[in-house]
Amino acid sequence: MTPHVKKSQALAVAVVSALAGIAVTLLTLAGVLPPHADAAAWVIAFPAFVLGLYLYWMAREGDPDIPFVGY
Amino acid sequence: MIGELLFGTVFGLLLLGIHRKVIARIQRRPGPPVWQEILHMLKFSFKTTWVPATASAALFVGVVLVAIGIWTAALFVVLSGESLLIIFAVYMLHKIVEHGFGLSSGSPYGKFGGVRSVISAASEIPLFVSVAAIGLFTRSLMISDIVAYQEVHGPLLLTVPLAGLAMYLVVLSKMPFGPFSIVESKELVSGYKTEHFGVWRAGLEVCNGLKTYVLLTTFLLVFVGSLPFLLLLLGMVVLTVSLSFACALCPMLSPYDSVTVQTIIAGLMLAYVSILVVMP
Repeated sequence: MTPHVKKSQALAVAVVSALAGIAVTLLTLAGVLPPHADAAAWVIAFPAFVLGLYLYWMAREGDPDIPFVGY
Repeated sequence: MIGELLFGTVFGLLLLGIHRKVIARIQRRPGPPVWQEILHMLKFSFKTTWVPATASAALFVGVVLVAIGIWTAALFVVLSGESLLIIFAVYMLHKIVEHGFGLSSGSPYGKFGGVRSVISAASEIPLFVSVAAIGLFTRSLMISDIVAYQEVHGPLLLTVPLAGLAMYLVVLSKMPFGPFSIVESKELVSGYKTEHFGVWRAGLEVCNGLKTYVLLTTFLLVFVGSLPFLLLLLGMVVLTVSLSFACALCPMLSPYDSVTVQTIIAGLMLAYVSILVVMP
């Protein structure tokens, strides 16, 4: 059974990842975290932010589709 | 960091748009506007999206995250002047990601694209023997060291032009509509990305933008050296136009021919590097 995408969860992923990335960037700029810590954070946060935001925009919460598998 | 990420993504997509426009004009078609790939990314992000019933959901979604993540990491590696070997490791990871894209959907078109990705990896990866030629001269594979070497000795493109050619072919292999673009050949619909529609494709477009930006920046830094920012961007546009000419004028090779041509060139590169070692 393919899981359905929930928009509320997608939005939460986008917001949390963006806030985490910005927080780590600020802490790195302030010298609290070592150099490149912000880069490491964005490697994880950026993909999650992109997909979370896009899914929040357009994810369908209904039944999944069956792809075309040839004639 | 986020500013560089967003700029790299958008400019990379703009370069892909220029690529399509130049190919179209060479083929006497009007072609899409140069910002078409940016519009594609936005358009796909507004498409209705779900996970196909036949897909492995974790892999289907996970590969998109990994695809963006690895090229994000690659961008930071280039910007911080770290090792060239990490860029090549990311390139190899990308081949595995393409394979994952193809296998995760349950579609035969995607699977064939994924399989072709692995086949092409066997011939593209050896082209990285070009780094051996670079290492012979610079005694380091750190991008910052390579750039510093060129400030003293001039561009490596003039010193080891064949290594530059090998790297150029690696970049060409990753450009759409090229002679080596067998992973997304039209007889496979869209190859490995056939079933990644809507938001997933928008994520893949972000990855493609970053990938193009990173590969072209790497090529210019490694073979031309440090450039002022605007000149670097101009260099990337010039490089893209030259790649577009190659893509427009060369037909897409069959998978067998693509691998054969790349393997022959990799063999010639190996001989070239051997000669450089023997006769420094």
